[in-house]
Amino acid sequence: MDSQLVEARALEAEITALRRACVEPPAPGEDTSRVRKSFRETYQADSEGWELSKDLRSHLGHLESEIQFLSTLTGISIRHYSKKTEDLTSTEMTEKSIKKVLQRHRLSGNCHMITFQLEFQLLEIQNEESLSSVITDLSIIMEPTEYSELSEFVSRAEERRDLFMFFRSLHFFVEWCEYRKRTFKRFKEKYPEAVHLSEGASSSCMGIRNPSRPGFELVIVWRIQIDEEGKVLPKLDLLTKVPLQALELDKNGVIETAPLSFRTLLGVLGIEATLESLIKSLHTEASN
Amino acid sequence: MELANTLSQDGESRGGVLAHLERLETQVSRSRKKMEEPQSAQAEESALGTRIHELRRLRDKLRAEVKQHQASVKASTTNVEPDQTLEITEQESLKRKWENVKAILQAYRFTGISGKLTSRGVCVCISTAFEGNLLDSYFVDLVMRKPLQIHHHSIPVFIPLEEISAKYLQTNIQHFLFTLCEYLNAYSGRKYQADRLQSDFEAFLAGPLQRNSLCNLLSFTYKAEPEGQSFPFCARLLYKDLTTTLPTDVTVTYQGKRKYCTFCSHD
Repeated sequence: MDSQLVEARALEAEITALRRACVEPPAPGEDTSRVRKSFRETYQADSEGWELSKDLRSHLGHLESEIQFLSTLTGISIRHYSKKTEDLTSTEMTEKSIKKVLQRHRLSGNCHMITFQLEFQLLEIQNEESLSSVITDLSIIMEPTEYSELSEFVSRAEERRDLFMFFRSLHFFVEWCEYRKRTFKRFKEKYPEAVHLSEGASSSCMGIRNPSRPGFELVIVWRIQIDEEGKVLPKLDLLTKVPLQALELDKNGVIETAPLSFRTLLGVLGIEATLESLIKSLHTEASN
Repeated sequence: MELANTLSQDGESRGGVLAHLERLETQVSRSRKKMEEPQSAQAEESALGTRIHELRRLRDKLRAEVKQHQASVKASTTNVEPDQTLEITEQESLKRKWENVKAILQAYRFTGISGKLTSRGVCVCISTAFEGNLLDSYFVDLVMRKPLQIHHHSIPVFIPLEEISAKYLQTNIQHFLFTLCEYLNAYSGRKYQADRLQSDFEAFLAGPLQRNSLCNLLSFTYKAEPEGQSFPFCARLLYKDLTTTLPTDVTVTYQGKRKYCTFCSHD
Protein backbone atom coordinates (compact mmCIF):
# COMPACT_ATOMS: atom_id res chain seq x y z
CA MET A 1 0.00 0.00 0.00
CA ASP A 2 2.77 2.41 1.00
CA SER A 3 4.77 1.73 -2.17
CA GLN A 4 1.68 2.38 -4.24
CA LEU A 5 1.20 5.74 -2.53
CA VAL A 6 4.84 6.59 -3.19
CA GLU A 7 4.42 5.66 -6.82
CA ALA A 8 1.25 7.72 -7.09
CA ARG A 9 3.04 10.74 -5.63
CA ALA A 10 5.99 10.29 -8.02
CA LEU A 11 3.65 10.06 -10.99
CA GLU A 12 1.89 13.21 -9.84
CA ALA A 13 5.21 15.12 -9.70
CA GLU A 14 6.24 13.88 -13.13
CA ILE A 15 2.89 14.96 -14.60
CA THR A 16 3.33 18.49 -13.24
CA ALA A 17 6.85 18.72 -14.69
CA LEU A 18 5.63 17.44 -18.07
CA ARG A 19 2.83 20.00 -18.12
CA ARG A 20 5.37 22.77 -17.53
CA ALA A 21 7.61 21.43 -20.31
CA CYS A 22 4.69 21.61 -22.73
CA VAL A 23 4.61 25.39 -22.36
CA GLU A 24 8.31 26.29 -22.24
CA PRO A 25 10.60 26.30 -25.26
CA PRO A 26 13.51 23.81 -25.23
CA ALA A 27 16.85 24.84 -23.64
CA PRO A 28 19.23 26.79 -25.90
CA GLY A 29 21.92 24.14 -25.48
CA GLU A 30 19.96 21.72 -27.58
CA ASP A 31 19.65 24.20 -30.44
CA THR A 32 23.35 25.00 -30.70
CA SER A 33 24.22 21.29 -30.85
CA ARG A 34 21.68 20.90 -33.63
CA VAL A 35 23.22 23.85 -35.50
CA ARG A 36 26.73 22.47 -34.97
CA LYS A 37 25.69 19.11 -36.40
CA SER A 38 24.12 20.66 -39.49
CA PHE A 39 27.31 22.64 -40.21
CA ARG A 40 29.42 19.50 -40.03
CA GLU A 41 26.97 17.62 -42.20
CA THR A 42 26.99 20.40 -44.76
CA TYR A 43 30.75 20.56 -45.04
CA GLN A 44 31.69 16.93 -44.78
CA ALA A 45 30.23 16.29 -48.21
CA ASP A 46 31.78 19.41 -49.67
CA SER A 47 34.78 18.65 -51.83
CA GLU A 48 35.16 22.16 -53.19
CA GLY A 49 35.28 23.25 -49.58
CA TRP A 50 38.15 25.57 -49.75
CA GLU A 51 37.13 27.46 -52.89
CA LEU A 52 34.00 28.29 -50.93
CA SER A 53 36.14 29.47 -48.07
CA LYS A 54 37.88 32.10 -50.24
CA ASP A 55 34.53 33.44 -51.49
CA LEU A 56 33.13 33.30 -48.01
CA ARG A 57 36.03 35.30 -46.67
CA SER A 58 35.64 38.13 -49.15
CA HIS A 59 31.88 38.13 -48.74
CA LEU A 60 32.32 38.13 -44.98
CA GLY A 61 34.65 41.09 -45.25
CA HIS A 62 32.09 42.94 -47.31
CA LEU A 63 29.33 42.22 -44.82
CA GLU A 64 31.51 43.24 -41.88
CA SER A 65 32.26 46.58 -43.51
CA GLU A 66 28.53 47.03 -44.10
CA ILE A 67 27.91 46.55 -40.39
CA GLN A 68 30.70 49.00 -39.58
CA PHE A 69 29.05 51.50 -41.90
CA LEU A 70 25.61 51.04 -40.36
CA SER A 71 27.14 51.41 -36.94
CA THR A 72 28.66 54.74 -37.95
CA LEU A 73 25.45 55.83 -39.64
CA THR A 74 23.19 55.16 -36.68
CA GLY A 75 25.63 55.44 -33.79
CA ILE A 76 24.37 52.06 -32.59
CA SER A 77 26.59 48.97 -32.57
CA ILE A 78 24.87 45.61 -32.42
CA ARG A 79 27.19 42.88 -31.18
CA HIS A 80 24.91 39.89 -30.73
CA TYR A 81 21.60 38.85 -32.15
CA SER A 82 19.64 35.66 -31.98
CA LYS A 83 16.13 34.66 -32.87
CA LYS A 84 13.81 31.77 -32.17
CA THR A 85 10.64 31.09 -34.10
CA GLU A 86 7.62 29.20 -32.92
CA ASP A 87 4.76 28.28 -35.19
CA LEU A 88 1.48 28.84 -33.41
CA THR A 89 -0.77 28.08 -36.35
CA SER A 90 -3.57 25.74 -35.32
CA THR A 91 -5.31 23.43 -37.77
CA GLU A 92 -8.36 25.70 -37.74
CA MET A 93 -6.21 28.63 -38.77
CA THR A 94 -4.56 26.67 -41.60
CA GLU A 95 -8.00 25.93 -43.01
CA LYS A 96 -8.76 29.64 -43.15
CA SER A 97 -5.23 30.24 -44.52
CA ILE A 98 -4.17 32.19 -41.46
CA LYS A 99 -0.61 31.80 -40.23
CA LYS A 100 0.47 32.74 -36.71
CA VAL A 101 4.13 32.84 -35.73
CA LEU A 102 5.80 33.96 -32.50
CA GLN A 103 9.39 35.17 -32.74
CA ARG A 104 11.64 35.64 -29.73
CA HIS A 105 14.50 38.03 -30.37
CA ARG A 106 17.57 38.76 -28.30
CA LEU A 107 19.74 41.74 -29.14
CA SER A 108 22.70 43.34 -27.42
CA GLY A 109 25.13 46.10 -28.24
CA ASN A 110 26.03 49.61 -27.30
CA CYS A 111 25.45 53.24 -28.17
CA HIS A 112 28.69 55.02 -27.19
CA MET A 113 29.18 54.49 -23.45
CA ILE A 114 25.79 52.89 -22.85
CA THR A 115 25.35 49.16 -23.38
CA PHE A 116 21.96 47.54 -23.79
CA GLN A 117 20.48 44.07 -23.81
CA LEU A 118 17.04 43.58 -25.25
CA GLU A 119 14.65 40.69 -25.38
CA PHE A 120 11.39 41.03 -27.17
CA GLN A 121 8.63 38.93 -28.68
CA LEU A 122 7.11 39.60 -32.04
CA LEU A 123 3.77 38.06 -32.96
CA GLU A 124 3.11 37.84 -36.69
CA ILE A 125 -0.34 37.01 -37.98
CA GLN A 126 -0.73 36.58 -41.70
CA ASN A 127 -4.12 36.24 -43.30
CA GLU A 128 -5.16 36.54 -46.94
CA GLU A 129 -5.32 40.33 -46.89
CA SER A 130 -2.52 41.49 -44.68
CA LEU A 131 0.35 40.77 -42.34
CA SER A 132 0.26 42.21 -38.86
CA SER A 133 3.36 42.31 -36.67
CA VAL A 134 3.02 43.25 -33.04
CA ILE A 135 5.63 43.45 -30.33
CA THR A 136 4.00 41.64 -27.47
CA ASP A 137 6.73 41.87 -24.87
CA LEU A 138 9.83 43.96 -24.38
CA SER A 139 12.49 43.79 -21.72
CA ILE A 140 15.51 46.08 -21.58
CA ILE A 141 18.66 46.02 -19.48
CA MET A 142 20.97 49.02 -19.66
CA GLU A 143 24.38 49.85 -18.30
CA PRO A 144 25.79 52.01 -16.77
CA THR A 145 23.05 52.56 -14.27
CA GLU A 146 24.41 55.88 -12.97
CA TYR A 147 22.23 57.78 -15.40
CA SER A 148 19.16 57.86 -13.18
CA GLU A 149 17.15 59.64 -15.84
CA LEU A 150 17.38 56.52 -17.94
CA SER A 151 15.76 53.99 -15.58
CA GLU A 152 12.38 55.72 -15.67
CA PHE A 153 12.63 56.04 -19.42
CA VAL A 154 13.47 52.35 -19.77
CA SER A 155 10.41 51.20 -17.81
CA ARG A 156 8.22 53.50 -19.88
CA ALA A 157 9.62 52.07 -23.11
CA GLU A 158 9.06 48.51 -21.83
CA GLU A 159 5.47 49.34 -20.84
CA ARG A 160 4.64 50.81 -24.20
CA ARG A 161 6.65 48.11 -26.03
CA ASP A 162 8.07 50.97 -28.05
CA LEU A 163 11.32 49.58 -29.40
CA PHE A 164 11.94 52.36 -31.92
CA MET A 165 11.32 55.12 -29.40
CA PHE A 166 13.87 53.43 -27.13
CA PHE A 167 16.61 53.62 -29.75
CA ARG A 168 15.63 57.10 -30.91
CA SER A 169 15.62 58.58 -27.42
CA LEU A 170 18.78 56.67 -26.53
CA HIS A 171 20.51 58.26 -29.50
CA PHE A 172 19.40 61.80 -28.63
CA PHE A 173 20.22 61.27 -24.95
CA VAL A 174 23.75 60.12 -25.78
CA GLU A 175 24.15 63.03 -28.20
CA TRP A 176 23.23 65.51 -25.48
CA CYS A 177 25.54 63.78 -22.96
CA GLU A 178 28.45 64.01 -25.37
CA TYR A 179 27.66 67.67 -26.10
CA ARG A 180 27.53 68.47 -22.39
CA LYS A 181 30.85 66.67 -21.83
CA ARG A 182 32.51 68.54 -24.72
CA THR A 183 31.18 71.89 -23.57
CA PHE A 184 32.29 71.46 -19.96
CA LYS A 185 35.69 70.20 -21.10
CA ARG A 186 36.15 73.19 -23.38
CA PHE A 187 35.39 75.64 -20.58
CA LYS A 188 37.63 73.77 -18.17
CA GLU A 189 40.49 74.00 -20.65
CA LYS A 190 39.87 77.67 -21.38
CA TYR A 191 39.39 78.80 -17.77
CA PRO A 192 41.20 76.18 -15.66
CA GLU A 193 41.22 78.32 -12.49
CA ALA A 194 37.62 79.39 -12.64
CA VAL A 195 35.86 76.22 -13.75
CA HIS A 196 35.46 73.26 -11.45
CA LEU A 197 34.02 69.88 -12.46
CA SER A 198 33.20 67.95 -9.29
CA GLU A 199 32.56 64.58 -10.93
CA GLY A 200 35.09 64.82 -13.70
CA ALA A 201 34.35 64.97 -17.41
CA SER A 202 30.94 63.27 -17.28
CA SER A 203 29.80 65.58 -14.55
CA SER A 204 26.32 67.02 -14.69
CA CYS A 205 27.43 70.08 -12.71
CA MET A 206 29.91 72.81 -13.49
CA GLY A 207 31.11 75.09 -10.71
CA ILE A 208 32.39 78.57 -11.40
CA ARG A 209 34.63 80.19 -8.78
CA ASN A 210 37.05 83.00 -8.49
CA PRO A 211 40.14 81.90 -6.56
CA SER A 212 40.72 85.44 -5.35
CA ARG A 213 37.19 85.65 -4.01
CA PRO A 214 36.54 82.49 -2.06
CA GLY A 215 33.05 81.90 -0.78
CA PHE A 216 31.37 82.86 -4.02
CA GLU A 217 30.36 80.06 -6.31
CA LEU A 218 27.98 79.66 -9.17
CA VAL A 219 26.93 76.10 -9.92
CA ILE A 220 25.37 75.22 -13.25
CA VAL A 221 23.32 72.04 -13.08
CA TRP A 222 22.76 70.57 -16.51
CA ARG A 223 20.34 67.69 -16.51
CA ILE A 224 19.20 65.76 -19.57
CA GLN A 225 15.62 64.63 -19.26
CA ILE A 226 13.46 62.32 -21.31
CA ASP A 227 9.78 63.17 -21.25
CA GLU A 228 6.70 60.96 -21.57
CA GLU A 229 6.79 60.98 -25.36
CA GLY A 230 10.48 60.07 -25.42
CA LYS A 231 11.62 63.61 -26.22
CA VAL A 232 15.07 64.41 -24.91
CA LEU A 233 15.45 67.91 -23.47
CA PRO A 234 18.26 69.64 -21.62
CA LYS A 235 17.34 71.33 -18.38
CA LEU A 236 19.77 73.84 -16.94
CA ASP A 237 19.58 75.48 -13.55
CA LEU A 238 21.76 77.94 -11.71
CA LEU A 239 22.59 77.58 -8.04
CA THR A 240 24.34 80.36 -6.18
CA LYS A 241 26.61 80.09 -3.20
CA VAL A 242 27.18 83.46 -1.61
CA PRO A 243 28.55 84.50 1.79
CA LEU A 244 26.01 85.95 4.20
CA GLN A 245 27.67 89.39 4.22
CA ALA A 246 27.37 89.68 0.45
CA LEU A 247 23.75 88.67 0.64
CA GLU A 248 23.07 91.50 3.09
CA LEU A 249 24.74 94.00 0.75
CA ASP A 250 22.63 92.81 -2.15
CA LYS A 251 19.99 95.56 -2.16
CA ASN A 252 18.70 94.84 -5.64
CA GLY A 253 18.16 91.16 -4.94
CA VAL A 254 20.39 90.11 -7.81
CA ILE A 255 21.33 86.84 -6.14
CA GLU A 256 17.71 85.98 -5.47
CA THR A 257 16.66 86.50 -9.05
CA ALA A 258 19.80 84.94 -10.50
CA PRO A 259 18.24 81.54 -11.30
CA LEU A 260 15.38 83.16 -13.17
CA SER A 261 17.67 85.55 -15.00
CA PHE A 262 19.81 82.60 -15.94
CA ARG A 263 16.84 80.93 -17.64
CA THR A 264 16.06 84.09 -19.58
CA LEU A 265 19.68 84.44 -20.62
CA LEU A 266 19.65 80.83 -21.87
CA GLY A 267 16.71 81.62 -24.10
CA VAL A 268 18.47 84.64 -25.54
CA LEU A 269 22.10 83.54 -25.90
CA GLY A 270 21.88 79.76 -25.95
CA ILE A 271 23.77 77.40 -23.67
CA GLU A 272 27.41 77.99 -24.53
CA ALA A 273 27.26 81.78 -24.70
CA THR A 274 25.35 81.94 -21.42
CA LEU A 275 27.89 79.79 -19.61
CA GLU A 276 30.77 81.75 -21.05
CA SER A 277 29.25 85.08 -20.02
CA LEU A 278 28.76 83.78 -16.48
CA ILE A 279 32.36 82.63 -16.23
CA LYS A 280 33.57 85.95 -17.60
CA SER A 281 31.46 87.97 -15.20
CA LEU A 282 32.92 86.25 -12.15
CA HIS A 283 36.39 86.23 -13.64
CA THR A 284 36.63 89.90 -14.59
CA GLU A 285 35.35 90.94 -11.17
CA ALA A 286 38.68 89.95 -9.72
CA SER A 287 40.70 92.04 -12.14
CA ASN A 288 38.76 95.21 -11.23
CA MET B 1 -16.74 4.31 -9.48
CA GLU B 2 -17.42 7.69 -8.01
CA LEU B 3 -13.78 8.45 -7.30
CA ALA B 4 -12.63 7.50 -10.80
CA ASN B 5 -15.24 9.79 -12.36
CA THR B 6 -14.00 12.73 -10.36
CA LEU B 7 -10.46 12.06 -11.55
CA SER B 8 -11.46 12.25 -15.22
CA GLN B 9 -13.32 15.52 -14.60
CA ASP B 10 -10.64 17.19 -12.54
CA GLY B 11 -7.82 15.44 -14.36
CA GLU B 12 -6.52 18.76 -15.62
CA SER B 13 -6.34 20.53 -12.28
CA ARG B 14 -3.39 19.57 -10.17
CA GLY B 15 -5.33 20.44 -7.03
CA GLY B 16 -8.03 17.94 -7.93
CA VAL B 17 -5.69 14.97 -8.29
CA LEU B 18 -3.64 15.87 -5.21
CA ALA B 19 -6.81 16.32 -3.20
CA HIS B 20 -7.92 12.89 -4.30
CA LEU B 21 -4.64 11.39 -3.31
CA GLU B 22 -4.89 12.97 0.09
CA ARG B 23 -8.44 11.80 0.55
CA LEU B 24 -7.26 8.38 -0.46
CA GLU B 25 -4.47 8.50 2.08
CA THR B 26 -6.76 9.44 4.96
CA GLN B 27 -9.16 6.75 3.90
CA VAL B 28 -6.36 4.24 3.84
CA SER B 29 -5.06 5.23 7.29
CA ARG B 30 -8.61 5.22 8.68
CA SER B 31 -9.20 1.74 7.33
CA ARG B 32 -5.92 0.57 8.82
CA LYS B 33 -6.95 1.92 12.22
CA LYS B 34 -10.31 0.17 12.08
CA MET B 35 -8.56 -3.00 10.94
CA GLU B 36 -11.31 -3.78 8.49
CA GLU B 37 -12.01 -7.11 6.93
CA PRO B 38 -9.54 -8.17 4.26
CA GLN B 39 -12.27 -7.82 1.66
CA SER B 40 -12.82 -4.06 2.13
CA ALA B 41 -9.04 -3.54 2.58
CA GLN B 42 -8.63 -5.24 -0.75
CA ALA B 43 -11.27 -2.90 -2.22
CA GLU B 44 -9.22 0.14 -1.03
CA GLU B 45 -6.08 -1.29 -2.51
CA SER B 46 -7.73 -1.89 -5.83
CA ALA B 47 -9.06 1.70 -5.76
CA LEU B 48 -5.50 3.00 -5.32
CA GLY B 49 -4.34 0.62 -8.01
CA THR B 50 -6.88 2.06 -10.42
CA ARG B 51 -5.73 5.55 -9.51
CA ILE B 52 -2.12 4.66 -10.26
CA HIS B 53 -3.20 3.18 -13.53
CA GLU B 54 -4.97 6.44 -14.43
CA LEU B 55 -1.95 8.50 -13.44
CA ARG B 56 0.37 6.32 -15.51
CA ARG B 57 -1.88 6.77 -18.52
CA LEU B 58 -1.93 10.55 -18.08
CA ARG B 59 1.82 10.63 -17.64
CA ASP B 60 2.42 8.70 -20.88
CA LYS B 61 0.03 10.94 -22.75
CA LEU B 62 1.86 14.04 -21.53
CA ARG B 63 5.25 12.56 -22.42
CA ALA B 64 4.07 12.11 -26.01
CA GLU B 65 2.72 15.67 -26.10
CA VAL B 66 5.99 17.14 -24.85
CA LYS B 67 7.95 15.24 -27.51
CA GLN B 68 5.61 16.59 -30.17
CA HIS B 69 5.84 20.11 -28.80
CA GLN B 70 9.64 20.07 -28.81
CA ALA B 71 9.64 18.88 -32.41
CA SER B 72 7.34 21.68 -33.52
CA VAL B 73 9.42 24.44 -31.97
CA LYS B 74 11.80 25.39 -34.77
CA ALA B 75 14.94 26.99 -33.51
CA SER B 76 16.72 29.06 -36.11
CA THR B 77 19.44 30.06 -33.71
CA THR B 78 22.19 31.92 -35.44
CA ASN B 79 24.17 32.95 -32.40
CA VAL B 80 26.44 30.11 -31.33
CA GLU B 81 28.01 30.00 -27.84
CA PRO B 82 31.56 31.31 -27.95
CA ASP B 83 32.93 28.79 -25.47
CA GLN B 84 32.85 25.74 -27.77
CA THR B 85 35.38 23.14 -26.79
CA LEU B 86 34.89 21.00 -29.92
CA GLU B 87 37.41 21.18 -32.75
CA ILE B 88 35.99 22.99 -35.72
CA THR B 89 37.48 23.53 -39.12
CA GLU B 90 38.30 26.99 -40.38
CA GLN B 91 35.48 26.75 -42.86
CA GLU B 92 32.93 26.07 -40.19
CA SER B 93 34.16 29.02 -38.17
CA LEU B 94 33.95 31.23 -41.25
CA LYS B 95 30.44 30.00 -42.02
CA ARG B 96 29.43 30.63 -38.46
CA LYS B 97 30.85 34.16 -38.53
CA TRP B 98 29.05 34.77 -41.79
CA GLU B 99 25.71 33.64 -40.37
CA ASN B 100 26.28 35.82 -37.32
CA VAL B 101 27.15 38.88 -39.39
CA LYS B 102 24.17 38.35 -41.68
CA ALA B 103 21.89 38.12 -38.64
CA ILE B 104 23.28 41.31 -37.14
CA LEU B 105 22.65 43.13 -40.41
CA GLN B 106 19.04 41.96 -40.31
CA ALA B 107 18.76 42.98 -36.67
CA TYR B 108 19.43 46.62 -37.50
CA ARG B 109 15.88 47.06 -38.67
CA PHE B 110 14.80 46.73 -35.02
CA THR B 111 16.62 49.96 -34.21
CA GLY B 112 14.25 51.75 -36.53
CA ILE B 113 17.02 52.66 -38.95
CA SER B 114 18.67 50.16 -41.23
CA GLY B 115 20.31 50.41 -44.59
CA LYS B 116 21.85 48.69 -47.54
CA LEU B 117 24.96 49.83 -49.33
CA THR B 118 24.32 50.79 -52.93
CA SER B 119 26.65 51.61 -55.80
CA ARG B 120 26.28 55.33 -55.14
CA GLY B 121 25.89 55.36 -51.41
CA VAL B 122 23.35 53.92 -49.06
CA CYS B 123 19.64 53.30 -49.06
CA VAL B 124 18.35 53.94 -45.57
CA CYS B 125 15.13 52.29 -44.42
CA ILE B 126 13.19 53.94 -41.59
CA SER B 127 10.65 51.76 -39.80
CA THR B 128 7.71 53.05 -37.81
CA ALA B 129 5.59 51.59 -35.05
CA PHE B 130 2.90 52.62 -32.58
CA GLU B 131 2.30 50.90 -29.25
CA GLY B 132 4.11 47.79 -30.41
CA ASN B 133 2.31 47.57 -33.75
CA LEU B 134 4.80 47.65 -36.59
CA LEU B 135 3.61 50.05 -39.29
CA ASP B 136 4.87 51.39 -42.62
CA SER B 137 8.52 51.75 -43.60
CA TYR B 138 10.00 54.57 -45.63
CA PHE B 139 13.27 54.79 -47.48
CA VAL B 140 15.77 57.51 -48.31
CA ASP B 141 18.36 56.84 -50.98
CA LEU B 142 21.51 58.83 -50.26
CA VAL B 143 24.35 59.58 -52.63
CA MET B 144 27.71 59.69 -50.90
CA ARG B 145 29.17 62.78 -52.45
CA LYS B 146 30.22 66.17 -51.14
CA PRO B 147 27.62 67.57 -50.60
CA LEU B 148 25.44 64.64 -49.53
CA GLN B 149 22.37 64.34 -51.69
CA ILE B 150 19.07 62.58 -51.54
CA HIS B 151 18.69 60.61 -54.73
CA HIS B 152 15.12 59.59 -54.15
CA HIS B 153 12.84 58.74 -51.26
CA SER B 154 9.40 57.55 -50.25
CA ILE B 155 8.76 60.20 -47.60
CA PRO B 156 5.25 61.71 -47.92
CA VAL B 157 5.22 65.26 -49.20
CA PHE B 158 3.67 66.76 -46.07
CA ILE B 159 6.63 65.72 -43.89
CA PRO B 160 9.11 68.66 -43.79
CA LEU B 161 11.97 66.72 -45.36
CA GLU B 162 13.57 69.76 -46.99
CA GLU B 163 13.60 71.67 -43.73
CA ILE B 164 15.18 68.77 -41.83
CA SER B 165 17.77 68.03 -44.49
CA ALA B 166 18.70 71.72 -44.79
CA LYS B 167 19.38 71.80 -41.05
CA TYR B 168 21.21 68.52 -40.51
CA LEU B 169 22.00 66.48 -43.60
CA GLN B 170 25.39 67.99 -44.30
CA THR B 171 26.57 68.49 -40.74
CA ASN B 172 25.17 65.62 -38.71
CA ILE B 173 23.72 62.71 -40.62
CA GLN B 174 22.73 60.80 -37.49
CA HIS B 175 20.71 63.75 -36.28
CA PHE B 176 19.11 64.02 -39.71
CA LEU B 177 18.06 60.38 -39.73
CA PHE B 178 16.76 60.26 -36.17
CA THR B 179 14.83 63.53 -36.56
CA LEU B 180 13.24 62.16 -39.71
CA CYS B 181 12.50 59.04 -37.67
CA GLU B 182 10.70 61.17 -35.08
CA TYR B 183 8.46 62.87 -37.63
CA LEU B 184 7.67 59.66 -39.49
CA ASN B 185 6.90 57.64 -36.35
CA ALA B 186 4.65 60.41 -35.04
CA TYR B 187 2.81 60.64 -38.36
CA SER B 188 2.44 56.85 -38.52
CA GLY B 189 1.11 56.77 -34.96
CA ARG B 190 -1.42 59.54 -35.57
CA LYS B 191 -2.59 57.88 -38.78
CA TYR B 192 -2.92 54.52 -37.03
CA GLN B 193 -4.98 56.07 -34.22
CA ALA B 194 -7.26 57.88 -36.69
CA ASP B 195 -7.76 54.66 -38.67
CA ARG B 196 -8.62 52.72 -35.53
CA LEU B 197 -11.03 55.45 -34.40
CA GLN B 198 -12.83 55.15 -37.71
CA SER B 199 -12.98 51.36 -37.73
CA ASP B 200 -13.29 50.34 -34.08
CA PHE B 201 -15.59 53.14 -32.91
CA GLU B 202 -17.83 53.30 -35.95
CA ALA B 203 -20.90 52.82 -33.78
CA PHE B 204 -20.08 55.92 -31.71
CA LEU B 205 -19.36 58.24 -34.66
CA ALA B 206 -22.34 60.22 -35.86
CA GLY B 207 -20.65 61.22 -39.10
CA PRO B 208 -17.45 60.70 -41.07
CA LEU B 209 -14.10 61.39 -39.43
CA GLN B 210 -12.56 64.45 -41.04
CA ARG B 211 -8.82 64.58 -41.17
CA ASN B 212 -5.95 66.12 -43.10
CA SER B 213 -3.16 64.17 -44.75
CA LEU B 214 -0.74 64.83 -41.89
CA CYS B 215 -3.41 63.48 -39.51
CA ASN B 216 -2.71 66.33 -37.14
CA LEU B 217 -6.14 67.87 -37.40
CA LEU B 218 -9.10 65.63 -36.66
CA SER B 219 -12.72 66.62 -36.49
CA PHE B 220 -15.65 64.35 -35.74
CA THR B 221 -19.06 64.12 -34.12
CA TYR B 222 -19.70 61.37 -31.63
CA LYS B 223 -22.27 60.11 -29.17
CA ALA B 224 -21.53 58.98 -25.65
CA GLU B 225 -23.57 55.81 -26.22
CA PRO B 226 -23.77 53.99 -29.56
CA GLU B 227 -27.52 53.57 -29.36
CA GLY B 228 -30.00 55.63 -27.48
CA GLN B 229 -30.93 59.23 -27.47
CA SER B 230 -27.70 60.78 -26.16
CA PHE B 231 -26.82 64.08 -27.78
CA PRO B 232 -23.88 64.26 -30.15
CA PHE B 233 -20.67 66.09 -29.23
CA CYS B 234 -18.34 67.70 -31.75
CA ALA B 235 -14.68 67.13 -31.13
CA ARG B 236 -11.71 68.83 -32.70
CA LEU B 237 -8.18 67.57 -32.09
CA LEU B 238 -5.14 69.56 -33.09
CA TYR B 239 -1.59 68.19 -32.93
CA LYS B 240 0.64 71.25 -33.14
CA ASP B 241 3.80 69.31 -32.43
CA LEU B 242 4.43 67.09 -35.43
CA THR B 243 6.84 64.91 -33.50
CA THR B 244 4.22 63.67 -31.03
CA THR B 245 1.23 61.35 -31.19
CA LEU B 246 -0.76 63.23 -28.55
CA PRO B 247 -2.89 66.31 -29.35
CA THR B 248 -1.92 69.73 -28.06
CA ASP B 249 -5.42 71.24 -28.34
CA VAL B 250 -8.72 69.50 -27.78
CA THR B 251 -12.05 71.23 -28.12
CA VAL B 252 -15.38 69.59 -27.42
CA THR B 253 -18.53 71.50 -28.23
CA TYR B 254 -22.13 70.72 -27.60
CA GLN B 255 -24.70 72.40 -29.77
CA GLY B 256 -22.21 75.08 -30.71
CA LYS B 257 -21.34 75.95 -27.11
CA ARG B 258 -17.86 75.05 -25.95
CA LYS B 259 -18.43 72.57 -23.19
CA TYR B 260 -15.01 71.19 -22.37
CA CYS B 261 -11.65 72.40 -23.45
CA THR B 262 -8.25 71.09 -22.44
CA PHE B 263 -4.86 72.72 -22.81
CA CYS B 264 -6.06 75.35 -25.25
CA SER B 265 -4.54 78.77 -25.24
CA HIS B 266 -7.99 80.36 -25.45
CA ASP B 267 -10.94 79.89 -23.06
